[in-house]
Amino acid sequence: MNSNPSPSNSSRFEGCTLTGALSVLTEVRDAVSVIHGPAGCTHHNFSLLHATHLANDRLEVPRLLSTRLTENGIIFGGEDALEETIAQALSLSPASVFVLSTCIVETIGDDVAAICAKSRGVPVIPVPTAGFLGGVFETGVKNALSSVASLAGPADAKTLSANLIGEKNLEYGVDENAAEIERLLSRLGIPVNLRFVRGLGTLDIGRLGSAAVNILREPALRPVGEDLEQRLGTPYVDSFPVGLAGTCRFLEEVGRICGIDASIAVEEERAHQAEMLGRFDDIAGSRVHFQSPHPMLRGDPGAEAICTECAEALDLSVDPDGAAIPLPYPAPVGTAGLGRMLHRWRVLIREKRRG
Amino acid sequence: MKQIALYGKGGIGKSTTAANLSAALAGEGLDILQIGCDPKHDSTRMLMHGTWIPTVLDLIRERGDESITADDVVYRGFRGVRCVEAGGPEPGIGCAGRGIIATFQLLERLDALKGDVIVYDVLGDVVCGGFAMPMREGYAQEIYLVTSGELMSIYAANNIAKAIARLSRRVRSRCTLGGVICNAKNIEGERELVEEFARRINSRLIAYIPRSRVVQVAELQKQTVVEYAPESDQAAVYQELARTVYGNETTSIPTPLEMDELESFALEFVQV
Repeated sequence: MNSNPSPSNSSRFEGCTLTGALSVLTEVRDAVSVIHGPAGCTHHNFSLLHATHLANDRLEVPRLLSTRLTENGIIFGGEDALEETIAQALSLSPASVFVLSTCIVETIGDDVAAICAKSRGVPVIPVPTAGFLGGVFETGVKNALSSVASLAGPADAKTLSANLIGEKNLEYGVDENAAEIERLLSRLGIPVNLRFVRGLGTLDIGRLGSAAVNILREPALRPVGEDLEQRLGTPYVDSFPVGLAGTCRFLEEVGRICGIDASIAVEEERAHQAEMLGRFDDIAGSRVHFQSPHPMLRGDPGAEAICTECAEALDLSVDPDGAAIPLPYPAPVGTAGLGRMLHRWRVLIREKRRG
Repeated sequence: MKQIALYGKGGIGKSTTAANLSAALAGEGLDILQIGCDPKHDSTRMLMHGTWIPTVLDLIRERGDESITADDVVYRGFRGVRCVEAGGPEPGIGCAGRGIIATFQLLERLDALKGDVIVYDVLGDVVCGGFAMPMREGYAQEIYLVTSGELMSIYAANNIAKAIARLSRRVRSRCTLGGVICNAKNIEGERELVEEFARRINSRLIAYIPRSRVVQVAELQKQTVVEYAPESDQAAVYQELARTVYGNETTSIPTPLEMDELESFALEFVQV
């Protein structure tokens, strides 16, 4: 899961479970997140989220509180400090409180879930986020999505609408990608019901169960898709669309789940793709070769296939002497994402031509 | 300064042995510090005539570690033995092992770790790194395993031998096994069994403490045997132990038994 907003170096694998969870939970805008652990765990994440928001033109302060454990809290147990910090969080009148654990409190066995279970009039929801248990950024995202989903019950009736599940809130193109999905869904006449979780209020979460389909950001979120299907009865598509053919298949799959004939939508999208590719006629026939974005970084697992597909569509030849094209991470979303990717290719190809 | 630590299964008589050892050492005119490293904090109670002294961790919890002085944590008991109890968190919460580490750091800062002999009396098993603290560099150089002839007790002693072997592999480590003390339960052939166990882990039996009623009677009087019945045979045993430990210059790196070795050892010695 990517938590680095820079499009030029957008790979961050593994990482801290807590950071992953907070990238989701801070999008419940009327909630406060309590981080049970040393102050540094909170400070580090506060800085990262704050800086990322600023880089994405959002002037927003993440609503985080730390229990600020020190050695005595570790020796004698931190449960009292957690109680106090939850009370402090409640004094800010949040609509919900999320309580995140850290490595050290899980090590000493503080019972975070038991403390949260006490009735306080406002939902206080534990989110397991101790990274040393082997989890990574993505584990935090999954745990947080499931925890937030616990605030939703099954809907009385499904409406013809879709939820976006687990958007990468820290990625540079998060809103552009959502707009692309919205555009594609509109071809099928399906509106977006909920961006789960992005820019929500606690009450909005109640709508989670009323969509006809959940669209996961990426296949790694399948366990969340399964969980939501089981709890709320909503089937899911396991990824935002990638690639030319993949985008058309996406329309077909959403159509199949929602009982809509997608053939016209697919036809229209193919025409749209042809028109998009037509804008890159000037680089047709060029030589390119694909490489990892950086020696220290891996590309998206599916990136190479997408690049090859686009190269074929534009009649580019793959040649070791061609313009060096970094494999994208994450893979571009939908037809619009491919358009932005090809735009970068054009820049690189022109640079190479100029020598 | 000699620093020794007593380890052994819970309830085996470590604290009784440690307190009598300290009392006997003090009888030789030595300046002794005994540190109880068990959240139960009853190591020094007989030396303190039944008084529960405030533990280091109670004081840290109540008023933070900034204002604590050596006088707040070190108490003089029988024969001037200086007594410290580490204490611990409430049962079932927090991290007692980290508590031991914090206690040692505070005692270092207060410059309280001094005397002719420091006796560390440690919890039943080396359950985590914190309880191996007394074995680390700068603390006890000699570990004494206290065990009876009961298999569970020997099993625990073998585990502690594993910890000693592990720590002694470290660079600059001075932690060694000083010997095995048999605190007898009056089992048939007990002395031979513990002696053989000690031999097999590359150590030796340095004292055999017979079971004696006077230990219980002294305890009811809230005294060590050395104080309550100084002329008794049992007191003589502790005095002999004190002389042996103080003069001990033969230590070893233990070779703990594997589980199957321990089992076959048990079969050899225990008459079913």
